[in-house]
Amino acid sequence: MLVKLVDLFSFLSVVLRAGTLVFQSVLLGGVLFVLWTARSSPAASEESIARVRASSWKLVRLSAVGLAIMQLLYLYVDSAVLMATADLGFSGVVGANFFISGSIVLVAALFTAIVASGDKQVASWALPVLTVVIMAASVMTNHAASRLEGRPLLVTLSSIHELATGFWIGGLPFLVLGLYRAKDLDTRWYITERFSRLALCSVGALAISGLVMSMIYIGSWQAVLGTAYGIMVLAKVTMLGALLILGGVNFLLLRNYPKDQVMPRLRRLIEAEVGIGITVILTAASLTSQPPAVDQVSDTVTPTQVWHRFRPELPRLAYNFIPETDSATGKPLPPPNANAVNIDGVPLTPRFINNTIESESNHHWMGLVVLAMGLFALLARTGKAPWAEYWPLLLIGIAVFIVLFADTECWPVGWKSVGACFADPEVLQHRIAALVSVGFAVFELGVRRQKKEHDPWAMVFPLMCALGGAVLLTHQHAISNVKENSLVELSHVPMGVIAVFAGWARWLELRLPKENQAIPSWIWPMCFVLIGAGLLNYREM
Amino acid sequence: MPALFLLLLVGSATELCWAHAILMESTPKINSTVSGPDIDITLRFNVRIDGGRSRVLLVASDGTSSSLTLAKQEKPDILQMHASGLKPGAYKLQWKVLASDGHMSNGDVPFAVK
Repeated sequence: MLVKLVDLFSFLSVVLRAGTLVFQSVLLGGVLFVLWTARSSPAASEESIARVRASSWKLVRLSAVGLAIMQLLYLYVDSAVLMATADLGFSGVVGANFFISGSIVLVAALFTAIVASGDKQVASWALPVLTVVIMAASVMTNHAASRLEGRPLLVTLSSIHELATGFWIGGLPFLVLGLYRAKDLDTRWYITERFSRLALCSVGALAISGLVMSMIYIGSWQAVLGTAYGIMVLAKVTMLGALLILGGVNFLLLRNYPKDQVMPRLRRLIEAEVGIGITVILTAASLTSQPPAVDQVSDTVTPTQVWHRFRPELPRLAYNFIPETDSATGKPLPPPNANAVNIDGVPLTPRFINNTIESESNHHWMGLVVLAMGLFALLARTGKAPWAEYWPLLLIGIAVFIVLFADTECWPVGWKSVGACFADPEVLQHRIAALVSVGFAVFELGVRRQKKEHDPWAMVFPLMCALGGAVLLTHQHAISNVKENSLVELSHVPMGVIAVFAGWARWLELRLPKENQAIPSWIWPMCFVLIGAGLLNYREM
Repeated sequence: MPALFLLLLVGSATELCWAHAILMESTPKINSTVSGPDIDITLRFNVRIDGGRSRVLLVASDGTSSSLTLAKQEKPDILQMHASGLKPGAYKLQWKVLASDGHMSNGDVPFAVK
């Protein structure tokens, strides 16, 4: 029971760490936005800039309170884990590095909320001091602080990386809010142009510090695909690439088109930037709980092992189980043949092989459905096959599949009673997933059939896609075999990234002016096709 | 899609462990045999360890366990201790350490005494 509770709290700890990083970045970005980007100027309307500043101050206060709450919960959960696993009393936890750092962030965040509510003259010097305190305390608990060699360099690089993330990605929600609050084109142009300059400098700092840290923490090309840490860094870089493309488009729009033509497009592109940017921060939080690749030299997966696992093979749509016990003696049977070994050459038991065969087959069937969804959505996009618009109905196929095959021991195909099945948390989650599938099928079909302009319900599907991708990126499988864990990450992380892209591409299709919808409307169905293809080639041994 | 991701998560989350500090080297070595009855134990990790908030248990093959007293840390990545009066047989060191970045990690070092 205690072990389960510690596992749950350890998982919560990662989630809260992610939440802390998001709020910290938004707070940093917000402080710079109110103190520099949205300063009064003759280039902007006074009334408009006052509205922008008022809403930005409110968001700064909310971010500070959010950071304080996240930090308090993080301290509570981490302290509980430490007290349970190291048999320490609360007084023993108080002096720990994470507790000191967390307490500093908590107090500084509360002060920030108070200062941001009071006199703005005081805030103009107090806020930079408080944000530096928050940053310094935060760096005390990242990878750099625990390293044995090159600590000053790594702490410096880490600080630059976190600051640049805050200034750019953390500032984006303030820019979106500002663009909504500013009613005239000149003010919108003014804040966007200033933010764009700041973002450009931040991107440079982010890329250089990230590159050097990656070289130090990953250590070799082989570890990029051969360790969970390397794969997560690659996911971050890929999403950063997408952000740079969006940022580049914004930059070109700002410089080459008249203000009135640019603004509608710019606002929508920035919304997608906010979503992908926050996913990058969540991925970074997940990365902080992985050991650096450079420390796992003997556990790095080789390119041959990667190829062996991911080389294209026919999907396993039908299968037969192998016998697990001797029919005469009832004793477990030995491994079936010399080739049935795991990545370390350890023989696999018949029970493990059967579980893997079933899991792979489930993934392959699911891949078939997702591939069909993507292809039908592409067909519908051509405008020549109106029937293909009904592709959301395939989600019901997923639901049927989950109910029939995810838990073969359960009702309606298995021997277990309905009550016993629903008492099992894993079965319950599967059945909820099936129900969610049916719900989304009906919901998305309804949205598509009605085709209303600016239908807010249409945004639910892309947001859930992006959220699903983000959860896949931040969730850790942490299988006890380090190499197997890396291979599982290598199969799941690309699907997470593609799902994030699918969600935000569909968002852009719905939000951009009609004449700019073409590119994103092709991207998200292709993302579905890629996820389907990835699932069809999914293997666990 | 959201349901698909939920299923992927549930299907693959078989065992949770949040390893961060990695054991780089140990004395006795994993699966080695050492001479008893008194042994010096050293555990070296990849990161700085908070020795005051870390624990090492010595578990005998009959399941009995005793907590080992950690010596004062001389290097930030190394934990040292001493075990005495060990009878011949199989043992396991169970370590739970707090890295200075706030992550708890655990692991085992199985060994035998001759």
